[in-house]
Amino acid sequence: MSQSDFILDLLHKSVDQGEKLGVDFIEARYDDLQLTTIALINDIVKQSSAFQRKGIGVMAYFNGTPGYSYTPELNLEGVKNATKRAIKLAKSTDERNVMKLDFESIPAVKEKIVLDVKKHPKNFEFSEKLDMLKRGVSSMKEVLEPTSTTGMYGEMYGEKFLVNSEGTEIYWAPVMVDIRMGSVFISDGQQATSFSGHGASKGLEFFNEKETTPEQTGSDAGKYCKEQIDAVAAPTGKQTTLVSPQMGGVVVHESFGHLSEADFVVTGQSPIADRVGEQLGSEHVTLIDEGVTPYGGLYLPYDDQGVKTGRTVLVEKGILKGYLHNRGTAQKMNAELTGNSRAINFMFNPIVRMKNTYFEKGDLSMEEALEQVGNGVYAVDMSGGQVGLDGNFMFNCSRGYLIENGQITKPLKNHALSGNILELLKYVQGATKDITIRTGYFGGCGKGGQGGLAVGFGGPNVIMDQVLVGGA
Amino acid sequence: MSLDQVREKILGISDQTLKYAKDLNIPSTEVFVYNLSSTNLTDNKGKVDSRDGLSLGVGVRAAIGKQIGFASTTGFDEESLKSTLSLAHSIAKTSPENPMFQGFVAETKTSKEGILDLEIPHLDAKDMIEHCNLMGQGFDNSDTRLISVSYEVNISWGGYALGTSEGCLASSLITTYGASSFVVVTEAGDRKTAADFVLGREIKPVEGLTANAMKHGLESLGSKAFGGSEVLPTVWKSREAAPFLTFPFVSVLSGSGYVEKRNPWKDKLGEKVCVDEFTLIDEGQNPEYEACRSIDTEGTPKQTTTAIENGVLKTFVFDKMHGEAAELQSTGNATRGMGFGGGIPFESLPTVGPNQVLVKNVGKNLDEQIAEIDKGILITGTPIGLFTANPVTGDFSITTNDAFLIEKGEIVNPLKSISIAGNNYKTLKNIVTIGSDREASGWPLDAPSMTFKGHTISD
Repeated sequence: MSQSDFILDLLHKSVDQGEKLGVDFIEARYDDLQLTTIALINDIVKQSSAFQRKGIGVMAYFNGTPGYSYTPELNLEGVKNATKRAIKLAKSTDERNVMKLDFESIPAVKEKIVLDVKKHPKNFEFSEKLDMLKRGVSSMKEVLEPTSTTGMYGEMYGEKFLVNSEGTEIYWAPVMVDIRMGSVFISDGQQATSFSGHGASKGLEFFNEKETTPEQTGSDAGKYCKEQIDAVAAPTGKQTTLVSPQMGGVVVHESFGHLSEADFVVTGQSPIADRVGEQLGSEHVTLIDEGVTPYGGLYLPYDDQGVKTGRTVLVEKGILKGYLHNRGTAQKMNAELTGNSRAINFMFNPIVRMKNTYFEKGDLSMEEALEQVGNGVYAVDMSGGQVGLDGNFMFNCSRGYLIENGQITKPLKNHALSGNILELLKYVQGATKDITIRTGYFGGCGKGGQGGLAVGFGGPNVIMDQVLVGGA
Repeated sequence: MSLDQVREKILGISDQTLKYAKDLNIPSTEVFVYNLSSTNLTDNKGKVDSRDGLSLGVGVRAAIGKQIGFASTTGFDEESLKSTLSLAHSIAKTSPENPMFQGFVAETKTSKEGILDLEIPHLDAKDMIEHCNLMGQGFDNSDTRLISVSYEVNISWGGYALGTSEGCLASSLITTYGASSFVVVTEAGDRKTAADFVLGREIKPVEGLTANAMKHGLESLGSKAFGGSEVLPTVWKSREAAPFLTFPFVSVLSGSGYVEKRNPWKDKLGEKVCVDEFTLIDEGQNPEYEACRSIDTEGTPKQTTTAIENGVLKTFVFDKMHGEAAELQSTGNATRGMGFGGGIPFESLPTVGPNQVLVKNVGKNLDEQIAEIDKGILITGTPIGLFTANPVTGDFSITTNDAFLIEKGEIVNPLKSISIAGNNYKTLKNIVTIGSDREASGWPLDAPSMTFKGHTISD
C-alpha cells in the first residue's frame, strides 16, 4: 500500500468510526507539510531549518455541536483515539451548546489539485536558496552601507487530504516561496530601517520575475533604507492619504475583514452584525474576498471543510452585502457558502478566516489619483499594527512619502496611521485601476491562537480622506 | 499518561534519538523533545467549541564544528526521527560556519521546577463547562445592555526534554490553567468590551469573572469626548501597565540584539535608564509562573536575573551562543516559540527571550495614585498600537477607548477613543509612582499599577 493510500485508509476509518458512533457529520484531515526557513543576518546563517509537520485532525458534529481532536501519531490506534476524543468532546458539550451551527449535506467532491510549478523548491539544494539571499544582500550593499542586514527565505510545500462523511475526498498539494530583505542603518544619531519582500503560491521561478528577483528585492530594501536617512516628519493630524495596495490591503484585512467573519457576527461581537444592506462606505468602496484571484496572491481552491472557495462580495459600492462563512454560520444566516473555514494545521479546528481580501479597482490612473489627493501622504508599507473588534486600527507606516501639489516629493519618517475603519470607509474617494495582491510564507493572519495563516491582501491605490497621521 | 510517565517518555525519546545520531555519525547533536496535551473550550454567546490533542515533536540541531543545521518533525516514530537527524546533518554540511557558535550544553545541571497541579490532566470537557458555570456566578444576563458574553477555559500539561551528545540529558514539566470571560455591552450608541481572567500553573478560583467583566463594561458606557489635546499624567492599572512596558523593555533586554548591535541600549550598560525606584527582574524561578522551569530550551538551568536595579541597567539576558559571544554566560533565556508571539516549540530554534519579566512592587496602590492626580487619565484597557512604537527612537502613538478622566483625585467619566503619544525611553524616566499591586497579566512583563507624566492626550 502506498503512503497516500495508507493515509486515505486511515481517514476513511476515522469517518467510518464516527458514523458508527452516531455523529451527524465527521471530517478527517491530514497535513504533511514541509517548511524551510533560512535567515542570513549580518552575513551569518543564523537559521537554516526544515520542519516536517504531519498529522491528522478529526472534526465531529453531534446534534449540531462540534468537537475536534488531533494526533501526530499516524497509525490506526492514534487516529481511532483522536476520533473517539472528538466525538466525546462533541457529546460532552452538547447540552451547553445552545447555538447549534449544524448544516445540511452538500454534494460530495472528489478532486486532486496539484499546482503547475516549474521549479519546485523540493528539487533545489539548500545552497541554491542561500545563494539567492546572498545575491539580495549584495545588491542591498550596493545601495548603502548598512549597520545590519537581514535576508530571509521561506518555503512551504506538501500534501493535504480531506475526507468526510458526505463522501468528499480532496487531495491538494500547496506550495509557497518567499524572500524578505531588511536593513538597519545607524550613524551619528541617524537611524533608518527598511524591509522589502515578495512571496507567492508558486515555485522558485517566481524569483526570476523582474520585480521579484532577489537582486531587485535587496536593492529595493537598500533604497528604502537610504531614503529613510533623510526622511522628513510626516504631517500630523487628519490627512488625505493615498494608500498603496499592500497598505490598503492590510488595513482592510485587519480592521474590516475580521469584522465580517461570521463567527463574530452570529455571536454579536462584530459591530457590523445585522447590518446587511446598510451603506457603510462611499460609492468607491467595493471589498472582495476570493480563493483564487485573477491577480495572484494566495492560491486556495478549497477550504478545510471541503467547500470550493469562491468570490465573495463583502461590500459593493459602499453597501454591506454579506459575511464570510463556514458551513454552520452560512446555514444559520441563510447565506451562500463562501469557503472560509480554514485551519493553520492539523492541530487546530477550522474556523472562519479570510482568503485573499482586497479593494476592487477604480478608474483612476496613478497620476490622476495623486492629483486628486493634492497635498497629503502616500502610505506604502507598514511594519506592525493593531486593531480592535470595534473597527479601530493603528498601523506603523514604515515607508511613506509626502504628496505636495499632486506630486510625490519626499520620503517620510516612520509614522502611525490610525482611525476607525467603519468611519474611514465613508471617506474613500477613489481608487486606481490596477490591482496587486500579496501573500507570503512570513507573517500571515492570527486568530483564535492560530497565528501565521497564509492569506492574501491587496487592491489598487486607494484615496482615503480623514486618516489620522501621528509621529510613531 | 501521568506526568511522571511523560517525563520518562520524553527523556527516553531524547536518549534514543541521540543514539540514532551516533549511528549516523553526526559529530555533535542536540535533541529537543516536546510533548504537550491540551484542551480548549469556548462558549461564545452559547456557541460552544472544544478541541483537544497531543502535540508531539522533536527538533534537532546537528553541528559539524561551527556549521549547524536544524530540522524538526511531528511525532516520535523511528523513521521520522532518523530522517530528521539526516536532514539536520545534511543542512549542516551545506551551511556556512556560524562564528558565534561554541557548542551545545555539555552537562546536566538543573534548577527549580515550578508548581505542578496534578488535577489538571484529569479535567475533562464536563469539568470545564462547570468552570464556565462558576465564572458566570452572580452575573445578570438579563441586562438589556448586554450584546454578547463569552467564556473560555484552557488547560495543558506535559513537558520537554533536552539531550546533547556532549552529555546533557534533562527535562522540565508543566501544567497550565487559564479561564476568561468577555462581554460586549452597548447603550445609546456607545459600545464597549471588557474581560476578566485568571491564569497560572494550577487551577484557580473563577467565581464571578463574568460579573467583574460586566461591571467594568457597564462602568465604561456613557463615555464623553476628551475634547482637545493636553499633556497629562496617566495612571495605568496593573494589567494595562504590563503591555505598555512590555514593548520597550522586552526588546531592550535582548542579549542577541546587544551582540548584533541592534539593541538601542547596547551602549548603556551601567547607565541610569529609569527612575531610582525602578527595578526590573527577569524571573525564571518563581514557581507560580509558567516561565519557571528547571532548564531552558537548550539545557541551561533557569535563573533569576536583575536586569535593571534602582534605575541602572545591569545586564542583558542571553542564551548560550550570544552569552559566549559577549564573553559572558547564558542567563537561562533560550526560548523556543513559547509564550508571547511564539510558534511551535519543537519547530523553533532556541532564541533569546524573556522569562517572566517583573517590575518590582514599590508603594501606593491604584486608589492612592488616583487620589494624587489633579487632572489626568486612568487607563483600564490595553491600548491599540503598542506594537507600532519606533524601536529605535522609542516614539509611540497609541489609542484606547478604555480610559477615564480623573479630576481632583476622583474618576469623573469614561472617555471616548483617545490617543496617547509619547516616547518610551523618556517615559521610563517620567515614572511618577510605581504601585504595590502587581497582577499576572499574561504578557511577558508584569507590572504593578503605575503613574507616568508627560504623555500627550488627544481625541
